[in-house]
Amino acid sequence: MNAKERMGAAINLKPVDKIPNAPFTEAPVCQYFGSTFKAALLEGPQMLAAHMKSLEEFKFDWVMLGMGYIGGIIPEALDCQVSFPEDVFPIIEKTSIFSMADVEKIAEKDMFTKRMESFLDGVRLLKKELKGEVPIACEYISPFTIATRLRGTNEIMMDMYDNPELVHALQEAIVPLDIAMGKALIDAGVDYIFYGADMECPILLSPKHYKEFVHEPTTKVCNELSRLGAKVLPHMCGDIVKTGIVDMLLEMDIHGIMPGNLTQEKVLDIRQLKEKVEDRICIFDNINPNGPLLIGKPEEVTKETLVHLNRAKGMSGYIFSTAGTSSPFTPKENYLAMDREVINFQWK
Amino acid sequence: MAIIDILNAVVEFDKVAVVENVKNAINSKTPIDDILNKGLIEAMDVVGEKFSSGEVFVPEMLQAAKAMQAGLEILKPHLTGDAMIAKGTVIIGTVKGDLHDIGKNLVTMMVEGAGFNVVDLGVDVDTDKFISEAQAHDADVVCLSALLTTTMPIMAKTVEAFKEAGLKAKTIIGGAPVTDAYAQQIGADGFSDNAPGAVELIRKLVAA
Repeated sequence: MNAKERMGAAINLKPVDKIPNAPFTEAPVCQYFGSTFKAALLEGPQMLAAHMKSLEEFKFDWVMLGMGYIGGIIPEALDCQVSFPEDVFPIIEKTSIFSMADVEKIAEKDMFTKRMESFLDGVRLLKKELKGEVPIACEYISPFTIATRLRGTNEIMMDMYDNPELVHALQEAIVPLDIAMGKALIDAGVDYIFYGADMECPILLSPKHYKEFVHEPTTKVCNELSRLGAKVLPHMCGDIVKTGIVDMLLEMDIHGIMPGNLTQEKVLDIRQLKEKVEDRICIFDNINPNGPLLIGKPEEVTKETLVHLNRAKGMSGYIFSTAGTSSPFTPKENYLAMDREVINFQWK
Repeated sequence: MAIIDILNAVVEFDKVAVVENVKNAINSKTPIDDILNKGLIEAMDVVGEKFSSGEVFVPEMLQAAKAMQAGLEILKPHLTGDAMIAKGTVIIGTVKGDLHDIGKNLVTMMVEGAGFNVVDLGVDVDTDKFISEAQAHDADVVCLSALLTTTMPIMAKTVEAFKEAGLKAKTIIGGAPVTDAYAQQIGADGFSDNAPGAVELIRKLVAA
């Protein structure tokens, strides 16, 4: 199996020849192989060069993009003031939504800024170079999480009691834009939409508020992206089983899930999640990118990786991953240790 | 007016009732210290416990903090003596390169609610700013927050700078990607993965 076949099989819960290896590699890859962090996040030729070198060395089963896209390009296109430092993530200097009048302006925005087009060019370049053998995944954000970027997290959380109409209206305005951006990604060559639902996770919001504010816009976006041909893979922290959030996610046209809490082992075991989702969708595992991978020695990384792999052994629809973005400061030898264990693990 | 009514009104984030109950308690000569400590401050402890156990979430915590602050505004002109003295000074901020503020804001509200003087430096705060503000305010504790894995190393740099500067302030770290092991590795004085835990940690460090 090549990477695309392996990932495709796991996502469709079919047998695989070995464990699909799909960590969130973008930040370390930029650091190991990029010219600068900023260039490798945002500019086509540098993105291409960093990811191709990374595939050659690590043999990952996907290329994961999008940190600069979700962190900077989208907020900037929606009128936030954003800076793009050379060595860290884009920074939102000033939010853009202060009133309902601002919400109305958002609905008229043209998302396809120069920076957005440059990023999409990078995706196209990668697609061509990968020759259909390695799938491309892109980070993506939900209407609710975009709303927190545009309005401010505290403000949105307060609005849920003080100004709920604005929360609904803002997401309603974002949904068609979010879908348009998703379509552009798919057209450029993205195979998997990694749907980040960072700010509506059950660590931050109650299931009641999730249902009241988030479920409907999320369903609209996920279903449409799925209809357009992408595999939609939500990423959500917290105990999605106990809170019933997973039941709402399963009402949508999604293909997999990553229970992405960075301290996942204290919150939700993926075996519990598997019992819940059965063979309806695949599951991405969630080794903590800030544990031994970041601060330990290679032998500690090996040990932790094996704990995850052994726990999942034999599980259908299993894909090895990290519980979110790995730090660009992750030692390369640690990444190599993790990679080696996943590649060599005897799955059967 | 019973103190418990003030406490319950904060926990239920009923701002109008908090203000009314605090006014009534003042008028009925309830000791001001009791209104503050057993009513408003203890209420935020209850809210923190409910957050930790998953009974309430961020929007409810923010609303409760707002209700508590409304009560505090009524109480402020009556605060005298010990009640006026903050339990310590805490500097807080999200480290350079990181714009996430929800965790920091929750900690700020909980720590203020617990009776500390809090200087909130906001987000994207560089090491020099942490140091100069800690010096200027003679801080007891400095809280560093980060949500991004990419900005965590800034915490290490800041903690190291505090040690080199020889300030009395203890450094503590928190945020979704941060772990106790990381705190130990970089030599921070403490770590908490939630806002109520941060309050407890600060209380211990200031009392030590």
